[in-house]
Amino acid sequence: MNLDPRALSDLLEESQDLQADALRPTNDALDELVEASRSESGEDRESNIQFHQEHQSGLLSSFQGASLLGAAGGLTLVAVLASAASAASSKDVQVLQTAASIENLAVATYKTALTLPYIGGSTANPVVKKFAQVTMNQHAQHAAAFNSAARSLGGRAQTKPDPAFVPVVNKAVASLKGATDAQGTLGVVGLAIELENIAAETYVKNTVLVSKTSNRELFASIMGVEAQHVGVLLAVQALLVGGAPQLISLDPGTAAKLPAAAGSVGFPNAFYKTNSAAPAMQGAVK
Amino acid sequence: MKMNKKKNEFAGTEAELTVMTRELDELHNDVGMPAMWEGVSNVIDSMRTADALGRDTSRRHFLLGASTALAGGAALLSVSVPSIAGAVTRKNSVSHAVTANVFPPKGLTGDLAVAAVAASLENLAVFAYTAGLGAASAGKLGTVPPAVATFATTARAQHTQHAQAWNAVLRANGKARVTITNPTLTPVVQSDFAKVTDVPGLANLALLLETIAAETYQAETSKLMSKAAIGLSASIEPVEMQHIAILYYVLGQYPGAQNAAGMPIAFSSTAKAV
Repeated sequence: MNLDPRALSDLLEESQDLQADALRPTNDALDELVEASRSESGEDRESNIQFHQEHQSGLLSSFQGASLLGAAGGLTLVAVLASAASAASSKDVQVLQTAASIENLAVATYKTALTLPYIGGSTANPVVKKFAQVTMNQHAQHAAAFNSAARSLGGRAQTKPDPAFVPVVNKAVASLKGATDAQGTLGVVGLAIELENIAAETYVKNTVLVSKTSNRELFASIMGVEAQHVGVLLAVQALLVGGAPQLISLDPGTAAKLPAAAGSVGFPNAFYKTNSAAPAMQGAVK
Repeated sequence: MKMNKKKNEFAGTEAELTVMTRELDELHNDVGMPAMWEGVSNVIDSMRTADALGRDTSRRHFLLGASTALAGGAALLSVSVPSIAGAVTRKNSVSHAVTANVFPPKGLTGDLAVAAVAASLENLAVFAYTAGLGAASAGKLGTVPPAVATFATTARAQHTQHAQAWNAVLRANGKARVTITNPTLTPVVQSDFAKVTDVPGLANLALLLETIAAETYQAETSKLMSKAAIGLSASIEPVEMQHIAILYYVLGQYPGAQNAAGMPIAFSSTAKAV
């Protein structure tokens, strides 16, 4: 892999500048959202309570079905998270806060991963390192956008990570102690795939759940980006498992050396699923 | 097909990756396909009762205007390059097929007009990958890496399923299937494809089509009226985005959403939506 670290830094810096331009449409959408919220005055309390009840059921079934959360002692968390504290909040606000909580967790996870020598240090694959840096930055922007939208609707910003997934991440990070570079990289990539997929599936589902058009636009503009993270990570994982980390490279000559299966491992389904989506109110501010 | 057949470069690894891919494919067939058809059924049920059926859209007006302006291009579909239509209509062209004279067809409004446009875009992608694989088989693109051939074959299969999903919606609502390629874009793709001489050229053309499809779905996700249709559109957009990421990787570029300058962006655009 032949990437110049200085060029990468420059690229990231440029990216951040250009991101301000890219965010303009989102900010415009948020401005429209504010206007819309003033005129539409949100959903009534009855509707919000119904939403709360429906998603309380969803939360319970999610915990019962998700092995990921089962490992984290999810049943104890159910009682905490399924409280009625959020019932009076707009459902769009709760959905946005949950999305922000997932993004916060992703930022924290990548930040931690980048402190590991094989992800962000001297022994890291430059493409993996750059991907982690760029992706962490993107998740921070997603969190800011979701929180901005929530605040525009009168809600509070969610600055904490999704409480249901935190123990899972902590456990995964703890398991990396003593791992070789190869094992550690594979462990981080596996964890990142889980988190990115939860984000992507949650946002696909949220496009249907939210009632404001501007919120739907926001989720639609992010879900595909998270799905791309999943796709790239699946390809990276396959190359690591296959013992070919040297092919995790942006060298144009790499494509010719890739095994046939690498061409399709990044997009396993023709239709993006939602069965791993986080319950809509799981990360809502209490 | 003139493919790179060197097996020794990846001894041991190819087998593992093949197993992984097969497992994913099995998972897809076990979970993904039933979920898709369930989603399509929901779309059908929802649209039968939704007021969206009667909703007119600015998109329809836009495309009607475009189809008039591109009447020559539409004619090409059935005269100069029958292979384009034939690539995707062979099974369905006997009955209930839409022609390119007026597109979307009269009588399709609202979500159904969007379904027609979506099907036509998917058909165009199927055509492009079919043509690309054909050119590769004929040795017109030089040596084609095995991963690129697998990408094209798999992406084509997924676009075929996307087209089937939208056409199932149309048929369930008593409308004709859309089996033609998008009349607005077909002349452009024809022109661009004629210039393709190598794998990067084909990958760039695929990138353009995938980007148009993804951005169109992204835009439509917030414009559709039926929740089930929103869900179907939202379940396809991320898959097109994954195609885009892998194409960038193959081209040696950052594998994710980016602007024209190649800088990664956190929010995908709708600038190329049709």
